[in-house]
Amino acid sequence: MTLELEEYGCTIDELMVVTFSRAMDNDTKAFNGAVSFIPVCGYLLARRTHAPGLVWAASSIAIDADPPSIPESTLSDALWGGASMLATSAHDFWSYASGARYNTFAFRGAQIDAWGNVNNTVIGPYDAPKVRLPGGGGMADLGSMIPKIYLWNTVHNPRVFVEKLDFRSGIGWGDGGDHRERLGLPGGPQLCITNLCVFDFHPESHRMRVASLHPGVTVEEVQEATGFEVLVPDGEIPTTDRPTEEELRILREEVDPTGARLREF
Amino acid sequence: MDKRMGIEQAVESIPDGATVALGGLSMNSAPMAYVREIVRQEKRDLTVVAIVAGMSVDWLIAGGCVKKVVSGLVSFEGLGLAPSFRMAVQSGAVEIEEYSEDLLICRLRAEAWNLPFVPTKAGLGTDLIPLHEQTGTIRAEVDRSTGEHYVACTRLPVDVALVHAHAADEIGNVRVDPKLIWMDNEIVNASQRTLVSVERFIDHGDVVAEPHRTSYPQFMVSGVSLAKLGAYPSSCFPEYGHHTAFFQEYSTAASDPESFSAFFADRIVKPETWEDFIRSCGGDEMATSIRRSAA
Repeated sequence: MTLELEEYGCTIDELMVVTFSRAMDNDTKAFNGAVSFIPVCGYLLARRTHAPGLVWAASSIAIDADPPSIPESTLSDALWGGASMLATSAHDFWSYASGARYNTFAFRGAQIDAWGNVNNTVIGPYDAPKVRLPGGGGMADLGSMIPKIYLWNTVHNPRVFVEKLDFRSGIGWGDGGDHRERLGLPGGPQLCITNLCVFDFHPESHRMRVASLHPGVTVEEVQEATGFEVLVPDGEIPTTDRPTEEELRILREEVDPTGARLREF
Repeated sequence: MDKRMGIEQAVESIPDGATVALGGLSMNSAPMAYVREIVRQEKRDLTVVAIVAGMSVDWLIAGGCVKKVVSGLVSFEGLGLAPSFRMAVQSGAVEIEEYSEDLLICRLRAEAWNLPFVPTKAGLGTDLIPLHEQTGTIRAEVDRSTGEHYVACTRLPVDVALVHAHAADEIGNVRVDPKLIWMDNEIVNASQRTLVSVERFIDHGDVVAEPHRTSYPQFMVSGVSLAKLGAYPSSCFPEYGHHTAFFQEYSTAASDPESFSAFFADRIVKPETWEDFIRSCGGDEMATSIRRSAA
């Protein structure tokens, strides 16, 4: 894998950021939570390239922030430089989120299932956990409220991508099919970007499906690293698009000169 | 009425078994001076409500003060899991009643507004719904007229809210400066009593001269205590950032449970006053390093 990714002239973190960035557009109105370096880099890169109208609230607070670099915490006020408004209260934030004025959010769970539901609560039973995780935080809220959900994970293995979550902290496509629609929830997960591949979701069953493989990765390797059966599209599976020189330059020099994104690896 | 009181005196008013809500958000603006004093006074069996928390909840658990945590998230973010919280929940020593951020906010609003419940779409389709089925604190329901699904969030009564802010006058008008109040106002509004630690006292005349800068009016506040760097090691925007080195030192110490209790007793509990504690953490030199260098 490494050899062929080298041919792209970039590293896996850069490929993930660029792939995330390209999924954003001028209609994206996003915000971020904790430990969200890949999405934060992605929003900033998209805004500097193809989506200058993208809205991003740093730490869900600092609207239109344009920080000179990315600090060690994506909830830190060091991320808020250049903002045009600090959305100061829960009242502002939840008004924008509940009404889907903010339309894009990205999750990274300790466990992710085939429908893009996520767990950040416990490994093992809730009442007697093997590992007590931080908790879902806003996952349960934003999974239900936000129409365009993106998932990412830098550690694609069967312990993360599981058949059954130990706890559903946040809803993706729920039980699949029209579950979200039946609950009256807008949209749902769009993509899941990992260190091996990009998944989209089958339009009817809403199960994860391989959309593209990163250079050098085979579909067998993805299946082996995934605890549920992955869907594959008909025909040849494309390779994840190559980042341009310009995207890589902007990411490395302007968006994240200190390499904060590597904290996720 | 003069509501100024020492940190010790303020904390003495909190009984064992109380439901205490902590302000702050993750690494930001937690009422750490009060929290440390709760540990020092060996309060017991507290129910701690903290929407998104970290070090504050970890200290209270390490101090043996907590029966139950009611929260959406407890962690040190990129600096790791909150070690005492994690161990205590895994061993069953402390109970965790998990909600999401908005579900908690809605429960606090139901309490503040004296309503049977506040509805939200948060949490629909998640395991938080069956988790609370027996207690009924949140319930998935369908609106009779529109057929819309929602979650009914019932009242969450709180005895005491502890929050940190920038300034207060002697009668308890509190200024969060700038008015960036995280979710602290939600717990203040839901609590029977609110205690506020502040970086500085200001004259009542200053408050009257600029009333638009007041965040909590005096009638909502029971006591105000002076605590310089009172949110340390969390941040107090825009004055100082969180202290990364302290989080790292604490997490490293916690990786050895045998020696951690000695570390905790010596490093956190032993200094007599908040000023002593800050001095032991590096005093002025440390303060200079975190002031306006939040990162």
